[in-house]
Amino acid sequence: MKEDLVKAVDYGQKLGADYVEVRTQKLFKTLFTTKDGEVEAAKEGTENGAGIRVLAKGAWGFVTLGTLDPKLLKQAVEEAFKMAKAASFRVKTPVKLAETKAVEDRVVTKSRKDPREIPIKEKINVALAMDKAIFDYDNRVKSCTIDYLDLTGTNYFINSDGTYIEQDKLYVWSRILASAREADVFTSGREEIGSTAGFEVFDVETPEIVGTRIAKRVIDQLKAKAPKGGTFPAVIGTNVVGVFIHEAFGHLAEADLTLSGSILSDKLGKKIASEVVTTYDDGTVDGAFGSFKYDDEGVPTQKSLLVRNGKVVGLMHNRETAFKFNMQPTGNARAEDFRFEPIIRMRNTYLASGDHTFEELIEDIDFGYYLKSFRGGQANLDGTFQVGIQEAYEVVEGQLGSPVRNASISGNTLETLHKVDAVGRDFKLWPGRCGKVQTAFICDGGPHIRVREVIVGGGA
Amino acid sequence: MAELKPEELTNIGEKAVKIATKKGAEEAEAFLSISSSISVGIERGQIVRSVKGMDRGLGVRALYKKAAGFSYTNILTDKTIQDAAVKAFHSAKASKPDKNWVSLPSPKKHSATKSTYDKRLPAIPPDELVETASVALNAAEGYDKRVFPVGGGVGTLLAARAIINSYGVEAYDKGTSIGCSIETIAREAGEVTPVCFEFNAERVYKIDPEWVGREAARQAIYSLKAKKIKSGNLPIIFTQPAFHALLYYTLINAVKADYVQRERSALKGKIGEKIASDLVTVHDNGLLEGGLQTWKFDGEGAPSQKTLLIEKGVLKHYLYDNYTAKKTGVESTGNAFRGDLAPYASTPVLEATNFTFSPRNKSPENLINEIDDGLIVYGVQGAHSSNPESGEFSVVATPAWKIEKGSVAYAVKGAMLAGTVFDVLKNISALGNNTRKIGHLVAPWIRVENVKIIGRR
Repeated sequence: MKEDLVKAVDYGQKLGADYVEVRTQKLFKTLFTTKDGEVEAAKEGTENGAGIRVLAKGAWGFVTLGTLDPKLLKQAVEEAFKMAKAASFRVKTPVKLAETKAVEDRVVTKSRKDPREIPIKEKINVALAMDKAIFDYDNRVKSCTIDYLDLTGTNYFINSDGTYIEQDKLYVWSRILASAREADVFTSGREEIGSTAGFEVFDVETPEIVGTRIAKRVIDQLKAKAPKGGTFPAVIGTNVVGVFIHEAFGHLAEADLTLSGSILSDKLGKKIASEVVTTYDDGTVDGAFGSFKYDDEGVPTQKSLLVRNGKVVGLMHNRETAFKFNMQPTGNARAEDFRFEPIIRMRNTYLASGDHTFEELIEDIDFGYYLKSFRGGQANLDGTFQVGIQEAYEVVEGQLGSPVRNASISGNTLETLHKVDAVGRDFKLWPGRCGKVQTAFICDGGPHIRVREVIVGGGA
Repeated sequence: MAELKPEELTNIGEKAVKIATKKGAEEAEAFLSISSSISVGIERGQIVRSVKGMDRGLGVRALYKKAAGFSYTNILTDKTIQDAAVKAFHSAKASKPDKNWVSLPSPKKHSATKSTYDKRLPAIPPDELVETASVALNAAEGYDKRVFPVGGGVGTLLAARAIINSYGVEAYDKGTSIGCSIETIAREAGEVTPVCFEFNAERVYKIDPEWVGREAARQAIYSLKAKKIKSGNLPIIFTQPAFHALLYYTLINAVKADYVQRERSALKGKIGEKIASDLVTVHDNGLLEGGLQTWKFDGEGAPSQKTLLIEKGVLKHYLYDNYTAKKTGVESTGNAFRGDLAPYASTPVLEATNFTFSPRNKSPENLINEIDDGLIVYGVQGAHSSNPESGEFSVVATPAWKIEKGSVAYAVKGAMLAGTVFDVLKNISALGNNTRKIGHLVAPWIRVENVKIIGRR
């Protein structure tokens, strides 16, 4: 493989490109869906392809195609060069890349339970055991949909700056959706499992543990009430803290979006949150769903400090934005696969723990909400965020009260971060997928936190 | 990669089906898709990238004793075709029987479609796309100096698909599309607006990039100086992007037979019942002229059709694919969908085609003039967090404007809308005459009474 890639890069340089990068992948996927105990289809697929990126005359050209044929790769380099030239016609500020150290490496996955060595039958059985645990919990459970995916393979990366990396890929993922019904009340719950370690993730997240967690959620919600709409103090659980930090803050700290005028664009070095807020985006957490060794520009991943005691101290960069900010690339350039260009993406993004117990967080609240688990979230460059909540409770006079269904919270990110007044001593990371045109596997999380006020919506 | 001719695609499919059945599969199906796309991207006020993509592949479904196996590959050689067919059969053997499985579909006549292919589109060179993108960009920047176009672009797509199964289904279709979009914010004195997005997507070469740029910029400028509003219940005009987001995660799921059969839909058992206001008539129209989701046949080879779902507020029918139709002994409505990105890599899922609301006669100006105190909502944030079973939603309206005494007064920030999609349907009091296509929705502006708004305390 290496020889063909070297030739393709050399050819691009000969054409006059300022930078050439060739990524090829050999990927193998196993996937299936079960619905109420029936398997839809046991699936597997092979995807081989290349993504070629060329920088010429200050603009990018990118070509993707499903082949590893050396002749076609060379043609694609030429095509990408032409595409770059066409785009450069209107460039005002030419793209430049921050310098990086050339790397040669081979990254091999070591998995206790390599999904490639596990027959699909066994994978199906795990899903069906989960399905059974959910239906057995209560007869008001009406549906259960389980998606399973494992993705294995190898990335080959080369660029004209002398970097060559072969890196194995291994992801195991599952999403479980369940619903319950009693008369006219419908409830639903979802959960994701994700790991870069291997199939052993199901030894911890066993079918019984995960199944019971979801089934209990959808059944408890049947007797839940609608939230009062308005502004309330809230204790936010690790799962919701994660999506809040990811959606409401993280995206704004992706340097491409910061440059696009996110509310952080003039805040570097300034205080944007209360003293107790410290956040990281960390690609080094062992086995976590958002971890990897090198990003898709060949830059080593790292643990990046974004906010220290309320002050923004870093952003997430690729080589292009790092040059613009005169900073170091942080290893955040990721591409879903060879079909896509690498763009700035999060890895494992979290709020650092503090020193409060859960009891201390809720004891001073006369009336508010405990927001335990989310269903979707979204934010805008202006800092408006929304997080849907699938599991919540009232907090009444310092105690957990009745369950609350279909709540959601919203507000302005910076206003809300300033209102974080206590941070728990616990910590948990939750796997998920993030969409920014492409899909990226990520984790987010943190400890429980308390927010003096947040807008709680919901309730028909 | 050289373009594959229709008969080359169907030949590969036939070969795969033959191999799978010869191996022992009781039924087999091959789905092939190819695509090639060219796009240029706008980033922060300039065009800095141009992308070309080519993808093709084969997905084989094999059935053995009511168990389904599926295998796909994006490399098409004799060996990989053989491997995919054999693996599909092996996967079926390794899987579990589905007691509800009846059979793959039998051949049926397909209707012709209109305005879904334009031979000019695949021939547009990148520099012409750069020109088109420049028109949109210049229109946005020229609108007002406070406008900052952060993203967008122009792109074309050529896609073809073929399906073959062991019952004699054999079909081929191709289509084109072009899209232009601008995302922009406006900035003034430390204030940043939300991202305002506008686009124009068509199946033929007839787009208006100038309008896209100007309209995105107009929304951004008018989003400045946004105010918080009080909580209350008000009439709301939903423009198409907002309405699409609201419906996609709620109503569009609730009419799918899969959701109905599995007790995940509040519309179960409601055929013949009034579920929406008299003004509401909805078709799922897979044959819509120039529709963004129009194809001759669906992902299983069933003919595309126009299905009446809601007539004057009364629920008439659900959406079916082959599996859910055979489960209850009705005909497929042609709603089996293969993935957007690499269709060959996906098994069919039930999805709407062009979910079409019949327009009425009100002009957009008229709709606004008739509201004394209300909102006009161009987008909603967080619609995907809606409860897919109950249709309950709780979203942020953004961008959105207050309407006072018949005209748009000021931008609104931080307002949440909460309710259920079924109450929204019942409270529709007017529809515009300005039909537009977006994603799976075809609809005009829609006025809904009495929507709960959560704002400042």
